[in-house]
Amino acid sequence: MTSPNPYLSPPPSSSSTSSNPFSSYLNRFSKWRAELGLPNPGSVENLQKEVKTTHLTNYAFDGGRADLTKSMSMSPLFQVTHSFALGAQNMPSSYNFGAIYATENVFLQGGVDHDGNVSARVNQGWASGHVSKAQAQLSQTPGHNLLQLEQDYNGQDFNINLKAVNPWPTDLTGIFVGSYLQSLTKNFACGTELVVQRPTPSMPEIVATYIAKYTGSDKSWIATAQVQPAGIVQATYWQKLSEKVDFAADLQLVVTPMRRDAIATLGAKYDLRLSTFRAQLDSTGKVSALLEQRFTPTFAFLMSGEIDHFKNSAKVGVGVMIESSALSPEEMEMQMQQMQMQQSLNPPQ
Amino acid sequence: MPSEDTKERIAKVIDVGRTVLHYAWIPMIIYVGFTRSNPQPSLIKCVTSVPSFILFIDFFRQTH
Repeated sequence: MTSPNPYLSPPPSSSSTSSNPFSSYLNRFSKWRAELGLPNPGSVENLQKEVKTTHLTNYAFDGGRADLTKSMSMSPLFQVTHSFALGAQNMPSSYNFGAIYATENVFLQGGVDHDGNVSARVNQGWASGHVSKAQAQLSQTPGHNLLQLEQDYNGQDFNINLKAVNPWPTDLTGIFVGSYLQSLTKNFACGTELVVQRPTPSMPEIVATYIAKYTGSDKSWIATAQVQPAGIVQATYWQKLSEKVDFAADLQLVVTPMRRDAIATLGAKYDLRLSTFRAQLDSTGKVSALLEQRFTPTFAFLMSGEIDHFKNSAKVGVGVMIESSALSPEEMEMQMQQMQMQQSLNPPQ
Repeated sequence: MPSEDTKERIAKVIDVGRTVLHYAWIPMIIYVGFTRSNPQPSLIKCVTSVPSFILFIDFFRQTH
């Protein structure tokens, strides 16, 4: 499942390179680069991670929902989930069974819904920042299958990510994405993402996106911008106002000869002791809120609401999340102690 | 450039692999999870999670 990776070969050691002037320059260059102490900028995929967790676009739901999670083991993590959703306005009722198995380097996830569509995901972490990822959607309906292979490399001050979506080996059609993000100063990183679409072998289509990210010195705020030369701009801003309050703003502009459009979204997230509250307002007239209230560590109650003032419509969602463990309290305590022991032996960097 | 014959064979192999993955992926995760869990869960504890899955597979076979 891994694509061949040129970075897996070990770097030349300094002692053997003294004879070659080029590699000694290279060595000095990498030393100088390490001395700059630039931070890792994070991947392009996670560019707007903070904004996405503050906004509730990815969390909102309507109708009723129930998630029952059963943990069989904590390390390695093994849990199964039964999810039910019903009564949503534009989604049929559904049942989903999911299983997760994870160790420090491996992550396996599988899901199957009541129609028999299977989703699969594998992440394998290698030494020194390399991660190989694969995900697939398998369906009986032709044309609904998806395969995505991904290789991610987190360097000292840069991130490289290569992706292939539905690659077909005989004629090399598919969608290929390559992205590169480089820290230039302690706060500023910029990079690019190239998307090559090859629906047929004769007509490849290349779209480039240019990316800039500015992180505040104390990491309490992040501003990002993405520009596509065709006329699409997305700018985001995220700030941690206090320990418990995050604020995020997002502006999307589309200015093409065919279409002119802009959406602005403002959102805030409150992390209280046993609950999380998200509120959001956008320029299409939607006001939405989501409350996640944890009554006990194993039982959470969710409430989601959205009012569209321009279309005069509303959505309401209610959900429960129940977690149970197959372990007895004594076993849990023993595992916690084991995990603490491991952490004290090799502290996280 | 591979011949038409080879292309057809590759397409067939991919299709078989896809079908195998479709049916075997979740049982594989459950097998890996149960065998490597620490402590290994007893079969009684699986009762609450696995039968629903088996029932579901039955349902899935009937509908397809």
